Amino acid sequence: MTRYILKRIVGMIVVIFLVLTIAFVIVRLAPGDPAALMLGPDATPEDTAALRTRLGLDQPILVQYLTFVGNAVRGDLGSSIFFNQPVVEVLAGRVEPTAFLSLFSLLISLVIATPIGIYAAYRRGSWLDQGAITAAMLAASIPSFWTGLMLQRYLATDLGWFPASGYGGPDADFFDRMGYLILPSIVLGIVNSALILRFTRASMLDILGEDYIRTARSKGMGEARVVLRHALKNAAIPIITVVGLTFALLVSGAVVTERVFNIPGMGNLVVGAVLRRDYPIIQGTLIVVATLYVVINLATDLLYLVVDKRVKY
Amino acid sequence: MGIGFDHKAGVLAALLAGAAIVAPAGAQTVIDVAIIGEADTFDPMMSTKDVVSIVTQHFVETLYTFDESWAVAPLLATDLPQISDDGLVYTIGIREGVTFHDGSTMDAADVVASLNRWLEVSTRGKGVAGKVASVEATGPYEVTITMSEAYSPLLSLLAFSNSAAAVYPEEILGDTVEQVVGTGPYMIAEHVPDQYLQLVRFDGYVSRDEPSSGSAGKREQIPDEIRFVPVPDPNTRVEGLLSGQFAFADGLPAESFARLEESDVADPLLLKPFGWPIFAINHKEGLLTSREIRLALQAALPIDDMLYAAFGDDNFFVVDGPLYPEGWAWRTDAGTERYNQNDQKAAAEMLKEAGYDGTPLRILTSRQYEFHFKMAEVARQALEMAGFNVQMDVVDWATLGQRRDDPALWDIYITHSPFLPEPALTSMYESSSRLGWAEPEKDAIFAEFTTETDEARRFELFEQLQAKVFEDVGFIKIGGFNALMGVQQGMTGIPASPWPFFWNAKSE
Repeated sequence: MTRYILKRIVGMIVVIFLVLTIAFVIVRLAPGDPAALMLGPDATPEDTAALRTRLGLDQPILVQYLTFVGNAVRGDLGSSIFFNQPVVEVLAGRVEPTAFLSLFSLLISLVIATPIGIYAAYRRGSWLDQGAITAAMLAASIPSFWTGLMLQRYLATDLGWFPASGYGGPDADFFDRMGYLILPSIVLGIVNSALILRFTRASMLDILGEDYIRTARSKGMGEARVVLRHALKNAAIPIITVVGLTFALLVSGAVVTERVFNIPGMGNLVVGAVLRRDYPIIQGTLIVVATLYVVINLATDLLYLVVDKRVKY
Repeated sequence: MGIGFDHKAGVLAALLAGAAIVAPAGAQTVIDVAIIGEADTFDPMMSTKDVVSIVTQHFVETLYTFDESWAVAPLLATDLPQISDDGLVYTIGIREGVTFHDGSTMDAADVVASLNRWLEVSTRGKGVAGKVASVEATGPYEVTITMSEAYSPLLSLLAFSNSAAAVYPEEILGDTVEQVVGTGPYMIAEHVPDQYLQLVRFDGYVSRDEPSSGSAGKREQIPDEIRFVPVPDPNTRVEGLLSGQFAFADGLPAESFARLEESDVADPLLLKPFGWPIFAINHKEGLLTSREIRLALQAALPIDDMLYAAFGDDNFFVVDGPLYPEGWAWRTDAGTERYNQNDQKAAAEMLKEAGYDGTPLRILTSRQYEFHFKMAEVARQALEMAGFNVQMDVVDWATLGQRRDDPALWDIYITHSPFLPEPALTSMYESSSRLGWAEPEKDAIFAEFTTETDEARRFELFEQLQAKVFEDVGFIKIGGFNALMGVQQGMTGIPASPWPFFWNAKSE
C-alpha cells in the first residue's frame, strides 16, 4: 500500500514536470505580445520593445525556460505580467470562489443525479426512467453559457432573487460572497448532474441484474435494503470515478460559467491570462490544475479501498 | 441617498424570507461602475488604454484638461499658460494649496519632475520630447517649458488623460511608480484584481471654483465611494445594470439598446458619435506602397454596407467622410468626394492601370471587436469583385498587436479610435508611425500644422491635411460609430464621454 502510494507520487512528479514543460512551450508558441497589450493601441514599436526587455521577454527561450524551471522547483512560479504580483499570490486569491463553486455545484449535481439515477435504474423502462434520460440528455446538450444567461436574466435581473454577477464588494462578508455563488452553482450543478445521473443509472442497472441481488430478494430482504445497501454499495466505484473527474474539472475552473457570472475564480483568471498573454499566470494555472488532477485521481483510487474491501493495491 | 447597491443581506437569508435580495444601501453613497476590464496600471503615463484613463482620472490630475467643447482648460495650473510670441516659451502658473493624497503639498518641483518623467517614459511624452529644450521651475509655483521648436498641440497633450502628463510627488518618481499618489478628488482605498477598485473621497481635495464643464471646473466629490468593477462580458454588464447592481455600465452591445429603453431601472446613454473605425494602411512595405493600388482600394470599399454589417442599426453608425463629426471645430469636407465611392468597376480599371499582379492584399483583423471583423468581411467581397486577391488574417487582439509592428506581415489592419480633441494626437499622420505614411507635401503640411499657433491658419492646414488623407490614401476612415453606455434612472452628472467620470454623479 505504502509502496503503491510512493509509486504514484513519483508518477505525479513526472506528470507535473511534463506539464510544466508543455505549458512553457505552448504559451510561447502562441503568437501575441503581452507588452503591446499592456501599453495600449497607440504605443510605438520602440515602447513595446523596451517593455519586453524590462519583462525579460527578449531573453533566449532556453534561458527563459531554465529560469522558469529553476524557480518553479523552489516553489516560485514567477510574477504576473499583468497584475505585477507573484503568481502564487494571484492564484491563492482565486481559490475561495473556485473551491466553493465546485463544492456547491458538485453537491447540487449529487442531490439531483444520485437519487434520480438510482430510481431510474430501479424502474427501468418506466416513464420516470425515460424522462430522466431525456432530461439528462437535454442538460448535457444545452451549453452552460446559455443556461447561465437565461437564469441570470430571469432569476437575477427580472426577479431579483440573486445577484446578477460578481463576488461582492469591499464590505461583503463570507456569507455575502457565498450568496454570489448560488446561481452559478445551480447552472453547473444542472450541467454536471447529467453525466453523474447516466453513470449512476448505468452502474446500478449492471448491479441490479447480478445473481447476488436476486439471491438477496429471494431471501425476503426489503427492496430499499437490496437497492441501497447491496446494489448501491457495489455500483459505487464507477460513480466515485465520475464524481472525482467532475470535481477535478470543476476545481480547474468552470471557465464559461465563471465568465458569464464574473466570478473571480481560476477559470476567469486563465481566460483573462490567455487574452493578455500573461505567460506566468497561464503556466502557473496549468501546473496547479495538473497537480489537482493527479491528486484527485489518487484520492479517488484510494477511496476505492474504503468502499470496496476487495480492492487491494 | 443610495446610488449603488450593496448586497449586504445574504442571498440565502433573502431566499428564506421569500424576498428579493436587493438590500437598502447604507448612508454612504456608493457608485458601482461596470467597466470593460481591469486597468493594466494605475499610472496613466504608462498606458494609452481608455480603461486606464477612465479609472485614473479620478485620483490623478494633470495641469490641464478639456471642457465640454473639448477646449483646453486649466486643472492644476492656475490658468492657461502665457505663451511667447514665437511659441517657444510656456509660462505656467501652478495652483497653491493643492495637496497630494499622502498629505504633501504640490509645488513647481513636483510638476517639473513629473513632466520630465512624462517626457522620458510615456508614449505621447516621448513623441514631443525632441522638441522640448527644458522644463524648469521658475518660481515656487511657476513652471516654464521652453521648446526648441514651436509645437502647438503641446497643451492638448498636457490635458489628455491618455498617456497622461500626470502630476505626482517628486519623491515617488522613478521608471515605475510603485504606489500611485495623486491630487484627484478620490483616492485608492483597496484594489482586489478582477473584483473591484475601491476609491474613496479625498477629504483634502481642493476643487476649482468654476462651474463644471466637461472634466474642467468644479469637481464636487458627490459620491462617498466609487467602485470600478471589471466585467469583461458585455451581456453580464447589461444584466448587472438592469438588475440594479451597477449604477453605470460602459461598453454595452448595440443589441441591448431596446431592453435599456424599455427598462424601468436603467436608461441607455448614447455617446453620439464616439469614434471612427479605421483601415490602417502599410506604407512601409508591400502592395499598398503603390498609390494607384491604394486609390483602387479606396474606390472599391462599400462604406454603407460595411457599417450596416458592423453595427446593424442606424442608431449606432453614421456614413460620414470628414475626419471630425458635425459640430466639431475641425470639421471640414476637404477631399471627401473620394469617400464611399463603392465603385468596384472603377477600382478594377485602376488596378489594371496599376499593373496589379494578384499579390494578396492581407487584411489583419480580430474578432475581439466583432465590428472590425464584420467590416472586413464585407470589404473583402467588394474588393474581390474589383479584382483584388484578398487574404483575411483573422487573429486575436494580442496577436494583432504584435503583428502590426512588423510591416512584413500586413497590408491593412483594422482598428478604431475615439474622436480626439486635437488632430495631432492621432499618430497616423506622422511618417514615423507604424503606418509609415511619408509623403513630402503631407509631411510639410503636418510639420507646419504642429508648429503653427494661429488657430485660423491651423484650420486651413488641417483642411489640406484631410484632403491629403483622401488624395494619397494615408489611411481610411470608414465612418462614425456611437457607443452605448447605460446609467441607472434618475442619475445625473455623468457625461456621455469616451472617458466618463463620476465625481459629479448624483441620484435625484
